[in-house]
Amino acid sequence: MQTSNALDPQSPQARAIYDLAIPSTIIFALIFVIVTGAIIYAILSFRGRAGEPDPKQIPGNRNVEIAWTIIPFLIVVLLLVMTLSAMNRADPPPAPSPDLVVTGHQFWWQVDYPGSRVITANEIHIPTGKPLSVRLESKDVLHEFWVPELTRKMSNVPGQPNHIWLQADKPGTYIGQCSEFCGTQHAWMRILVIAEEPSKFEEWQRAQLQPGQAPTSDSTAKGLALFQTSTCINCHAIRGVAGADLRVAPDLTHVGSRRQLAAGIIENTPANMRLWLKSPQHIKPGALMPDFNFTDEQLNQLSAYLSTLQ
Amino acid sequence: MTTYQFVTTAWTWNSILLTLGAVAFVGYFLAFGQRGRPLYFAAAIVLFLLAFISPFSVLANGYLFSAHMLQHILLVLIVPALLLLSLPRSFSLRPPLTYLTHPLIGWIAGVSAMWLWHAPTLCNAAATSRTVSAIQTTSLLIMGSVFWWQVLAPREAQRLSPPAGIVYLFTACAACSVLGIILTFAPVSICPVYQHPVDQLGILSTIRGSWGLTSDRDQQIGGLLMWVPMCAIYVTAILAQLARWHSSPQPEQSNA
Amino acid sequence: MNGTTTIAEFREAVLDPAKRRHYQLAWLSTVDHKRIAVLYMLTALVFFIIGGVEALFIRLQLAVPNNHFLQPDTFNQLFTMHGTTMIFLVVMPVVFGLANYVLPLQIGARDMAFPRLNAFGFWCVPFGGILLHFSVLAGGAPAVGWFAYAPLSETPYSSSPGVDYWAVAIFVLGIGSLSFAINTIATVISLRGPGMTMRRLPLFTWINFVNAFIIIFALPVLNAGLAMILIDRLLQGHFFLPFRGGSPVLWQHIFWAFGHPEVYILALPAFAIVSEIIPVFSRKPIFGYEFVAASSVAIAVLSLGVWGHHMFTVGMGRPLDVFFAISSMLIAIPTGVKVLNWTATMLGGRIRFDVPMLCCIAFLIQFLVAGLTGISHASVALDWQTKNSYFLVAHFHFVAVGAIVFAVIGAIQYWFPKMTGRMMSESLGRWTFWLMVIGFNMTFVIQHFLGLLGMPRRVFTYPDLPHWGWMNMLSTAGVFFMSASALILVWNLATSFFRGKGAGDNPWDAWTLEWATTSPPPHENFHALPPIRSRRPLWDLANPDRPDPIVGENSAAVTLPNHNKIGILSFILSETGFFGTLILAYLYFYGRPEAGPGPKELDVPRTLVFSVCLFASSFTFWRSEVALTKQRRGSMLGWLALTILLGGVFLVGQGTEYWKLFQTGVDLSTNMFSTSFFTLTGFHGLHVLLGLIALLIFLWLAWEGDFASDRRESAFKSVGYYWHFVDVVWVFVLLTVYILPLVQ
Repeated sequence: MQTSNALDPQSPQARAIYDLAIPSTIIFALIFVIVTGAIIYAILSFRGRAGEPDPKQIPGNRNVEIAWTIIPFLIVVLLLVMTLSAMNRADPPPAPSPDLVVTGHQFWWQVDYPGSRVITANEIHIPTGKPLSVRLESKDVLHEFWVPELTRKMSNVPGQPNHIWLQADKPGTYIGQCSEFCGTQHAWMRILVIAEEPSKFEEWQRAQLQPGQAPTSDSTAKGLALFQTSTCINCHAIRGVAGADLRVAPDLTHVGSRRQLAAGIIENTPANMRLWLKSPQHIKPGALMPDFNFTDEQLNQLSAYLSTLQ
Repeated sequence: MTTYQFVTTAWTWNSILLTLGAVAFVGYFLAFGQRGRPLYFAAAIVLFLLAFISPFSVLANGYLFSAHMLQHILLVLIVPALLLLSLPRSFSLRPPLTYLTHPLIGWIAGVSAMWLWHAPTLCNAAATSRTVSAIQTTSLLIMGSVFWWQVLAPREAQRLSPPAGIVYLFTACAACSVLGIILTFAPVSICPVYQHPVDQLGILSTIRGSWGLTSDRDQQIGGLLMWVPMCAIYVTAILAQLARWHSSPQPEQSNA
Repeated sequence: MNGTTTIAEFREAVLDPAKRRHYQLAWLSTVDHKRIAVLYMLTALVFFIIGGVEALFIRLQLAVPNNHFLQPDTFNQLFTMHGTTMIFLVVMPVVFGLANYVLPLQIGARDMAFPRLNAFGFWCVPFGGILLHFSVLAGGAPAVGWFAYAPLSETPYSSSPGVDYWAVAIFVLGIGSLSFAINTIATVISLRGPGMTMRRLPLFTWINFVNAFIIIFALPVLNAGLAMILIDRLLQGHFFLPFRGGSPVLWQHIFWAFGHPEVYILALPAFAIVSEIIPVFSRKPIFGYEFVAASSVAIAVLSLGVWGHHMFTVGMGRPLDVFFAISSMLIAIPTGVKVLNWTATMLGGRIRFDVPMLCCIAFLIQFLVAGLTGISHASVALDWQTKNSYFLVAHFHFVAVGAIVFAVIGAIQYWFPKMTGRMMSESLGRWTFWLMVIGFNMTFVIQHFLGLLGMPRRVFTYPDLPHWGWMNMLSTAGVFFMSASALILVWNLATSFFRGKGAGDNPWDAWTLEWATTSPPPHENFHALPPIRSRRPLWDLANPDRPDPIVGENSAAVTLPNHNKIGILSFILSETGFFGTLILAYLYFYGRPEAGPGPKELDVPRTLVFSVCLFASSFTFWRSEVALTKQRRGSMLGWLALTILLGGVFLVGQGTEYWKLFQTGVDLSTNMFSTSFFTLTGFHGLHVLLGLIALLIFLWLAWEGDFASDRRESAFKSVGYYWHFVDVVWVFVLLTVYILPLVQ
């Protein structure tokens, strides 16, 4: 099962942070044990009994104070040096132009590949073994991109592009989530990073560049017609469909090929697609897609069409 | 030029300053003999000279705003403090210099020493003209000394009481931090000459390249130096005041 | 008055209708610091229950994955209100209340320096609390998190008035906090009893005194930020909206410049409590008094410079990240020194494990954990994984609950006898303690691991990822123990008040002055004070064979600084933070080019003329002061009237400038320059207006005749300080807004 375990790094950047975490934790644990040990020692050895005279009234000891100011200072210096090194390894300066642009919206992620011109949403495919420079932006409020096993978290600030590096050592699926509270459905702004061997990635990329699958049956043709006439094209784009090129909402050209819908709230199955179209507000109240009150037949047609957009 | 070459060769043999330093040292002994604390004085002179003859001074003079800021901090805070600490206990100022010992004067001197020399025109002038630079150095030393007098004057009676000293130091720290904040976040160059340094030594590519110091970053670091490390100096002074307060058998104010 | 009188009096008052009204009125109108303190703490208790219920619902919703117990929007409102309530309506009032009660007693004073200001400060709390909660009825509570990041908290994304109520409520609460801080500073500096020199102050007093300075410098920054966000929301300002030229990151800087010192404002009183209780129950003085005192000052100063560690993932740039990491790690050192001093106090003692001491021991261990996880957040790279996750939630709850709440419970058990004359039940206290230890650790220890497993904060639900389910369930289970503990505490308070054992003056055999009077103390606090030569006057009395070393010397009577002067100077210090923030915000936008009006629209020569009037009014005020000291009433009235006139001319001048700008279509909403210009000059103008009102009041009082007294003179001088300060601020505004563009 997929995890998002910060202590299971799957990239050089995440490993740099992990390599800092382990010695730091050991230092903290030692400090905890020593000080708690002293407290427990005090509790056990210096119990008072009623009626006992008061003990020797020691006001303090200057040398002890100096010692236990200097020692923490040295520990802090050590931690700082370790931190600086980890910062450089986890977050080198960005490349002059990004390989990926991830834009945060309420409540989904827009994913653009400037090089190949692929546009998708919520699911990020990357080739393994290669560091990708990612530019993070936002179209509305603050969001934060976080895939614990792969990279540091970084805010998507509207008006101020930020940069991180994204890389995966091995093929696999890595999950992440928006981690800056961004409104009602902040909890369901999940990220899937799917790392594949370079050849498989190329394959995926090629498929993504194809225009949307044209309808081949009556039902799906009616679905496409519904898409074009029910104001869907005011927000959603499908390459190959005339007039559908606005990207206020996720690009749907290959929506059928994604594993999840609505930024991870439901798995992508035809049944779920239909449920979503029936009432987005029922599944993800607060999402910016309104309920359209389609009839059952319309729902069948529309979901059939969208599911064919592989 | 590589970093190593730079560090080993960019020393400036400034005969004027070295002579002045020697003269100052001799003058110190003539004036105070054994009564003062010569080690502090020596440290002050050495630091002062280092600030001006080491490769660091080359950086401060026209390449890096942050190096220039470090030089300022040395001249306003560190060297004057050492100078004052080196004075013998019997030292006292004669009028009219005693006017300089009013706390408000001291505070304004210390804070404006930093603010004034960062007005863009003045900052540029100091970086390009040797005369202005000499004026700047002298003024920083004097104003720094006037500032520190309130806290480091040779005799206890000449100083502010420790609690007042803490308020004095803290507010000065805050005032300089504000400048630091402005410098760090300003989108324009405060001292334009550092944006396009005249590259006499051929070191600019190393600075921008392997040191990674673009002019934006340089100004940011300069502002941050004025903020964090400078405040660290003030905080240390505050802690020293507390130590002084708690160790002295001073008569204290109360409603007794 | 002793303990039985309080209870009998209370019973009588409740049963007799005539007396009941009088008694109620006495409490509602009180200016006695002891009663105000109790009001503070009772109010805090009420909001603690509200905030706790909010937490209960939060944890119920999070107990299982994919839960639908609560709607997402409801959940979001709940966590916003929970955080805001606990910080501003629970912890701050309770620590202010405690300090209010104990501090004047510990320094041998009759009351706080400004009793009416004290009452005002208290009443801001219920008023602010009601304002905040009224939002529930007026369209929904705010749902933006307790720090209300922009742009989410701006109108396009939060259109209901919840955020407006939140901002105004916190503004009111901030004014209350500032009042308390000013009062504390003036009290400690000006009202100490004979022999109570600054170096002999008990650590509880010293640390609360230092804390007051943090409040003075930090709260006004928040007030400036709140003013700015209200201007954005209600007057179409632009401060934090990027598509209008503003900056969301600026909100974060301003908020955290307040927010980080705020957490020290919450924590330092806990340190104060523990520094008092641990020595008494270890039967030894605090180990290293000077170092604990000095480290408190170091923490206060440093706390103002670490706020960037809340913003390591915002993209401030590497140099800023590094500098804030350095300062944040440095602040760990004085904090750590304290923990070691407290531990060393216990070593070699004869420890009594009464409930207050148990709470302090738990505090030590839990605060240690909190401090260590705090250092991990100061390490930028580690923070890049743990920030905004449950690891962070665990960290700050270890501080807020593990350290602060435990310290407060200990403090209540410790000082309750002094306040009521009765002991709290020791066995109920133990139940409270152990249930809280179990519940607290059950809830929050596991959250560290949840965060490391990738669970972000502020999510109303979560998918069924490995371990998330049972960890959250465990975390929720702990809440029931904590609720039980709280209920037992309330029960303990109620029953002990009526049936607790009599306490006597000094049930704990403690050494500070509050124990040198009856329980509860008489109205004027002390009938007589013991001799004060060291930090523990009562120890000296009880142990004449081995008194504490004398600290400092008693000097001949020296007049302490006048409390009016200290009060107004503290207020002025606080205003520097407010105006400083507004000026810096103005400069922030000044450097960024934009279309539309700019400084060139301003009529500098005309403004200079009106400025001269304002500066002249400082001169005329000074002449008025001189006339007052010479008892020349006519002269004083004349100069004062002239001052008011000149101030009025300035305001009229500003008004005409505004009018001219409005006529050309330049108002708050035009662009960044106009927003920041009107905000800065507008608030300055408001301060001038308030100053004029104060001066008019004095004019009227002087006209009526009674101006001979000393008190009036010092009050007049204090208003003078304020008036001069308003001038000084204008100098900076003039330089920044009007002169700077000309010399560039």
